[in-house]
Amino acid sequence: MADLAVTSSPGSVRLPPGIWAVPPLLVLGALFFYPLSLILRQALFGDEGAFSLAHFGEVVGSRLFLDGLYHTLVIAVSATAGCLLLGFVLSLVIAFVPFPGAKLVGRLIDTFIALPTFLVALAFTFIYGSSGLLNESLMRLLDLSLPPVDFLYSQWGVILSEITVYTPFVMRPLLAAFSLVEASQIEVASSLGAKPMRIVRQIILPAALPALIAGGSLCLLLTVNEFGIVLFIGAKDVITLPLLIYDKAIQEFDYTTACIIAVVNVALSLGLYSLYRVAVAHLAGSRAGLV
Amino acid sequence: MLVWSKAGRVLAWVTAALLFALIYGVPIGVIALASFSGQWNDVLPSHLTLAHYINAMRGDSAEQTQVSIITGFAASAAALICGSWAALALRNLMRLPRRVLDVIFFVPSAVPSVSVGLALLVAFSQPPVLLNGTRAIVLIAHFVLISAFTYGNVAAGLARLPPEYEQVAESLGARPFYRLRRVILPLVAPYLIAAFSLSFALSMGELGATVMIYPPGWVTLPVGIFSLSDRGAIFDASALTMILALSTLLVLVGLSRISSRAAVR
Amino acid sequence: MATPVSSQALRADDASVSEARSAFSAAAAPLLAGGRVRGIGFKDVTVAYGGLVVLASLTLDVRPGEIVALIGPSGSGKTTALRAVAGFVRPTRGRITIGDRDVTDVAPYARNIGMVVQNYALFPHMRAEENVAFGLRARGVSHAVVRERVPECLRLVGMEAYAKRFPRELSGGQQQRVAIARALAIRPQVLLLDEPLSALDAQIRRSMLDELAKLHRDLPSLTVLYVTHDQTEALTLADHIGIMRDGKLVAFGASRTLYRHPPNRFSAEFLGRANLLPVTSLEPKAGGLAQVRFGEAVLAATNPHGLPQGSQCLLCVRPHDLRLREGEGTHNILAGIVESVQWQGDLHAIALNVQGHKLRLTCAPLGAPPEAGTPLALAFDPHDVTLVPETPPEKPGG
Repeated sequence: MADLAVTSSPGSVRLPPGIWAVPPLLVLGALFFYPLSLILRQALFGDEGAFSLAHFGEVVGSRLFLDGLYHTLVIAVSATAGCLLLGFVLSLVIAFVPFPGAKLVGRLIDTFIALPTFLVALAFTFIYGSSGLLNESLMRLLDLSLPPVDFLYSQWGVILSEITVYTPFVMRPLLAAFSLVEASQIEVASSLGAKPMRIVRQIILPAALPALIAGGSLCLLLTVNEFGIVLFIGAKDVITLPLLIYDKAIQEFDYTTACIIAVVNVALSLGLYSLYRVAVAHLAGSRAGLV
Repeated sequence: MLVWSKAGRVLAWVTAALLFALIYGVPIGVIALASFSGQWNDVLPSHLTLAHYINAMRGDSAEQTQVSIITGFAASAAALICGSWAALALRNLMRLPRRVLDVIFFVPSAVPSVSVGLALLVAFSQPPVLLNGTRAIVLIAHFVLISAFTYGNVAAGLARLPPEYEQVAESLGARPFYRLRRVILPLVAPYLIAAFSLSFALSMGELGATVMIYPPGWVTLPVGIFSLSDRGAIFDASALTMILALSTLLVLVGLSRISSRAAVR
Repeated sequence: MATPVSSQALRADDASVSEARSAFSAAAAPLLAGGRVRGIGFKDVTVAYGGLVVLASLTLDVRPGEIVALIGPSGSGKTTALRAVAGFVRPTRGRITIGDRDVTDVAPYARNIGMVVQNYALFPHMRAEENVAFGLRARGVSHAVVRERVPECLRLVGMEAYAKRFPRELSGGQQQRVAIARALAIRPQVLLLDEPLSALDAQIRRSMLDELAKLHRDLPSLTVLYVTHDQTEALTLADHIGIMRDGKLVAFGASRTLYRHPPNRFSAEFLGRANLLPVTSLEPKAGGLAQVRFGEAVLAATNPHGLPQGSQCLLCVRPHDLRLREGEGTHNILAGIVESVQWQGDLHAIALNVQGHKLRLTCAPLGAPPEAGTPLALAFDPHDVTLVPETPPEKPGG
């Protein structure tokens, strides 16, 4: 058996298993955490290098910042609510009222996730813009001189775009959760005389709750961070935190202010991210097939 | 089967189909239509043209397509290596350090891309490393933003791999690197490919960080599309968006073919 | 919390220990050429996660060429013991030896062990032959040896016709055979089988059991540790059986001895569902027998554990050792009221209430089975029943 036996070399030093995690950690540290820490330094020390909270307080207390924060939150919460509602309804039909091609639709949704977010914003200007498809049609039909539909350049335009873009992020975990609901459960419930609404309420909704919460918190995070849509729609009154950072840094070259806003923005995002992790961990959302 | 009556089912389908068409069909259709329109002052374009695609095939736009594809491949490849490495390294760790490191590797996906761009701008405009105005900083930004997604995808694949495969391999005398090469990597290959596809798609569509840091001469498609639409050249922007979407889809479909073949084997 | 239990102390009467292994059979000779026969030794092996002890001070010897089955309910520590031999679980305390080599600190890949797991774990991206060749290639064995040994191992398990198939093209039983061939290809010193049949359906399980028995006849020098929760598998295959509960080895002995003379209540119930009646032992009788009192009745039984006179103990009666009383015998009679009668095809199962205790009896199908509610008297041979020490009731949740 000597020809086959593998012998361990007794002299070799056993490396701790954590050692292998060091190279990617170093890469991430140098390219991500180090730059992130410099944002904090810039925010607190400014260009002069003296620690001061005065400028920080000034920026955070400013009208511009508070408006930005308010818009960011209102848009994120409204868009998330819309995504949850729309995502639930669409997933319900795909999963429980099966039709030919339902699988293909599921694939299309997955593909939609991969497309850039500003595509929708661009499309919406063609549809809902003042000289877009909808307004032109209505003006022609009703013989109006002014465009009747005018919401695109308000926060509603942003919210509607974000609902369109982020609904697939809710549908993915939902469809995974629905696929775990056994068909026999629904059949038994039907045979016991339960009507569809009752089945949705008492069987499907409880099963989907973890996925809804996980998908919803992910949506909240992504909508708070969204930049492309807001930039493309370019409504004057709708300034969110990411857009504010962009304006300050790129248009006004005011890096210190940009960094202060970024600190708040990052903190908000990390808070939402923790919420998401907790939701996923507590509700066994890992089974719901999230990335 | 939730709805039993024929009429109810049809109603549900029609509603869903309408919603789909309205929410996803119309936007894509409109962009596609706009990319072919010569003039669009009425309900529909007055005439169709290929001029915008011809514009897109030459000059700046062609260069931008190239830049985006190169950036996407390079950043995705780097992220795939780094993310897979991290996911593999974390696999054998104890519970607590693994959870902590898992969160650390996921954090970049939670930070807004504009802030990542700003951070890189601040960090690499000062010593010790000056990268501001180089192509490298764009690559770094894309790498950072997508690394969490590749890590997540590969980690998910590894988590789904029953531990018995590796244990049996080990009991049969396979050393760590041999197990990695012959058992683990082939078995998670579909996840590696999926991770690469997702990274590539995300990189192709990245705008927030890129717009903060791109140097002249290394303009990605989304930045190009934004500046076109900002200038009012929305039909050219549409054509470029179509090219962006199609090239992304082409890569995704191609890779998913390979992936499904790998899964069948 | 864990009191060390030595296997020696628990070894039931070991009169019929397996005979020395004879020469290799012709079929297996090439497979094991040059192999030395080695056993497995557990010495005070304890495995704990945090404060949770999953294996408490296991001391056990698997002799070279022997099949030892570890059985017990889930969570009893039997799989942990097997995984400790394979090296996937590090003992918190104690040593593990294979032959005379201490492998406690040896990496799993260097232990030279064949392992077969419940779900087979055939590599799905490799053909059957590639699976079998895996261990050889991992060791850098020459192509010539691989070409020779892979078909040889597939032939041993009757799978040579399926060499080119992928695992997904094989049935469960076929996958299991390939998994066994894969484990044997590296000429392991010991073979570890972790619930190898539990994923198969009943009929295939039966025939795989025969196959495993035949395999061991072909490879008599192979030492096997077999973990299962199924007593039939253990009794059919194993020379010795260890019964595990809550991380402890509660009984160990030659299979037949352990079945006939279980050393404690749990073993009696887990291995072959015995009837246990509370009795008081009276005086010893000739021939290793003892007299016991059960209520009003005085009965005779074997007393292999030498329980002292006057002690409270349990009378272990297997359901198939009880007979309906014929004629007017007066010795070893248990009288009770029939509670239920079930016809199960090849046998009748009768449940009786004997002085408030439930007694189960199985017998060949009866022409005129008794009816529920009628009195019935049963008799047994004192050599078939055993006195078992009464262990104090476990704390709930302990």
